[in-house]
Amino acid sequence: MDKPSHIVKSYEEQLKLLEDTIIKMGTKAEDQLLMSIDAFAKKDLELSKKIIAEDEVIDAYENSIEHQVVNLIALRQPMGIDLRETVTALKISSDLERIGDLSKNIAKKTLLINKNLSEPLTNSFNLLGNKVKKQLKSVIDSYLKRSKNVAINVWESDEQIDILTTQCMEDVIKYLKEDEQNLQNGAQLLFIAKNLERIGDHTTNIAEQIFFLVTGEYLEGNRPKNTDSEML
Amino acid sequence: MINEKIKISTKNLNVFYASKQALFDININLKENKVTALIGPSGCGKSTFIRCLNRMNDVIDICKVEGSIKIDGDEINKKNLDVNLIREKVGMVFQKPNPFPKSIYDNVAYGPRIHGLAENRESLDNIVENSLKKAALWDEVKDRLNQPGTGLSGGQQQRLCIARTISINPEVILMDEPCSALDPIATAKIEELIDELKETYTIVIVTHSMSQAARVSNDTGFFHLGKILEFNSTEKIFKNPDNKLTQDYITGRFG
Amino acid sequence: MNSKQKEILMRKRYSAEKRFKFFGIFSISLAILFLCILLFNIFTSGLSAFFKTKLILKINFDEKKLGINMNTPDEAIKASNFNEILQDALLNLDLLAPDLKKIELIDIVSIDATYELKRFYLQNKDQLNKIVEISLTLSDDLDQLYKGNFPRDIPEDRRRFSDFQLKVFDEQNSQNKIITEFNFSFFKNADSREPELAGIGASLIGSLLTILVCLILSFPIGFLAAIYLEEFAPKNKITEIIEINVNNLAAVPSIVFGLLGLGVFLNYFYLPRSTPLVGGLVLALMTLPRIIIPCRAALKAVSPSIREGALALGASKVQAVMHNVVPLALPGTLSGTIIGLSQALGETAPLILIGMVAFINVVPTYPIDPSAVLPVQVYLWSESAERGFVEKTSATIIILIFFLVLMNSSAIYLRNKFEKKWS
Repeated sequence: MDKPSHIVKSYEEQLKLLEDTIIKMGTKAEDQLLMSIDAFAKKDLELSKKIIAEDEVIDAYENSIEHQVVNLIALRQPMGIDLRETVTALKISSDLERIGDLSKNIAKKTLLINKNLSEPLTNSFNLLGNKVKKQLKSVIDSYLKRSKNVAINVWESDEQIDILTTQCMEDVIKYLKEDEQNLQNGAQLLFIAKNLERIGDHTTNIAEQIFFLVTGEYLEGNRPKNTDSEML
Repeated sequence: MINEKIKISTKNLNVFYASKQALFDININLKENKVTALIGPSGCGKSTFIRCLNRMNDVIDICKVEGSIKIDGDEINKKNLDVNLIREKVGMVFQKPNPFPKSIYDNVAYGPRIHGLAENRESLDNIVENSLKKAALWDEVKDRLNQPGTGLSGGQQQRLCIARTISINPEVILMDEPCSALDPIATAKIEELIDELKETYTIVIVTHSMSQAARVSNDTGFFHLGKILEFNSTEKIFKNPDNKLTQDYITGRFG
Repeated sequence: MNSKQKEILMRKRYSAEKRFKFFGIFSISLAILFLCILLFNIFTSGLSAFFKTKLILKINFDEKKLGINMNTPDEAIKASNFNEILQDALLNLDLLAPDLKKIELIDIVSIDATYELKRFYLQNKDQLNKIVEISLTLSDDLDQLYKGNFPRDIPEDRRRFSDFQLKVFDEQNSQNKIITEFNFSFFKNADSREPELAGIGASLIGSLLTILVCLILSFPIGFLAAIYLEEFAPKNKITEIIEINVNNLAAVPSIVFGLLGLGVFLNYFYLPRSTPLVGGLVLALMTLPRIIIPCRAALKAVSPSIREGALALGASKVQAVMHNVVPLALPGTLSGTIIGLSQALGETAPLILIGMVAFINVVPTYPIDPSAVLPVQVYLWSESAERGFVEKTSATIIILIFFLVLMNSSAIYLRNKFEKKWS
């Protein structure tokens, strides 16, 4: 949506800075996620350690965004679209921070796995990881382009992530049943699967925020969910 | 924290209208090239204070100003001082735009003429053009400089008054509720102008609109019943003021 | 209150409104009616003064009888006697007239007729020894007869003209020898004993000179005094007293100023009596408060923000007031001044007291020449017994009204022009 810039230029600059910070934070979160899935697939311990160290960058972004939002509200009294930008920025940064944290956790769990995994197991995780990656990428794209359609897509696709997670967890339970020695690894794998599912949830949260940002309305009803994984 | 230069400082400033005291012991420092906003309920002394800074209170017979007011370290609240020199340094923009009954050109040229700031017609033309450009009005009026200043819209008239004020090259610009008679777009234009002007001038603005003070200023002072209750950076005042009354005022819990 | 009571109340209100409206319209109509009657009266009696009746005569510019020739210089011509050729022409009207009646024939034309002939000849020297038809002014009695102001059917000894004159008049009229033309001499001539020759020349110039002196004295003093009192004078007891006195002066009867003029200007300073100088001085005193008061009101009406704006730019008080406030007060001041002057134009009593009631038969040129003024001229002529002065009195009133309307219109025009410029 093309709009003329504010008469007061410094206000315009402040809003632009906020948007840029969100994009930077999203890009970093995406990076962390990609790396954590990569590290898990390749059992790359060095990469995992790097991911854990760099989580503080995402925390710093969240801090900055929080300060910017409070300042904007106190000093500029934003209205209309500016108000939605400001408020959604706060919520999106919170979800992105959680995504960063969960990626860090995946990396931590990766460090604790001490054995190579079988093909079918890695396949399930690959499928799940790829889907989550795609969701996050789409959602950051939709923020950039302010596209409500992409946001709706992401929102609707959350169900698939649930199904893939269920599949993963079933495979992990099979793996656990195969051998008593697999208990330690199996536990970590369960956590990793759950973390990936949660990342998917947060991505869907961001999609809801973007829909609100663009249209001013809320996505109706409960998001399509599959709760089979909770039965396991 | 950069060492910010103090442009104006008042010490033990007390102002009386006949026997009634309007300002009590005002001690504040106004920083150079920054915008300071003064907020507070009606009748609490903001306008009285700002009028002390260019000795406009001299016009009111019953007004007595005691205490020290220093600009760049020089005392201005002295009897033998030529007030016209002070007013050359400290300009004022009023609440209701008050262009003179002259053409746009003559309005801006009036100050330079009476202070002899231009040697010839050409340099006067330059002063007028520069002032109008700095006030973001040049493009709108450059083809009709000979028309009366009173023929402009409210927002344009106020920018004309600002151009008139800066034509004599002051160091400080005082603004007494400059936007209260203007619509929101005209107000936004003036606020953008203030943002630009603060690079060159020190600005003190009295405003009834707290949101304006929040948008526009670097420092804010809260006046109440003739006293300064709090004087701090704008961010502090509007996010987390120290004084309870300040908080009550800005949240609309008392007026 | 139920609806019936409400209805009665409403009806009472409406009828009260209607009564009020009726009284308003009635009063205005009454005023307009009286005004119309007055104007009608004045115009019907006065318009005829703008026309003069003349008799066309065949004049023989016989050089022998005049005692001049083609080469005679102008001064000699002015000195020569044109009476004879005039009388010849008049007597020719009725060759059979007995001697006694011949005098009456000669009296048909105005005593100015010989001078009219002289003036004509000086312009047309080529008419020497020729017979020319010239129109000459009729005497005032026949002039009034022609205008229908004298009845014909009263006995001769109660008339101003004899039966014989009447007969000759009617004869000439039937031959179309009696004409009317526009009376320029009404404007050019000064006062005269003869009504047909009397004009407002002296009093018109006198009025203009008097008003001029009044304006030159009262406007600058009044204007500056108002500016000082309003803008610069300290607000203390003395200023208050001055303000009260100025307001009271405006209400003082004008004749008191006349007494002042008599006592001080004439008897103490020995200024020349009956001159526009003294008249202007007296009227200036009278007009001064009438300029100060509207000027002060106009200055008060200027928004204080204009003054403050100028002061804040570092202007001194004088600069702020003179450059910015005064131009805005100009429309109100000007209209106040012009209205004050038009009142002064119509003043009679004070000018009578300083002697402007004399018989002035020479048109004045300078403010120190003795003169009359229009309103006093009206008074003088209205006292006169001659019938011919009646129309002149009304005509002068018409001229006065014309000037008053002119001045008031210019007041309105100027005010509108300045208001539009600065608003």
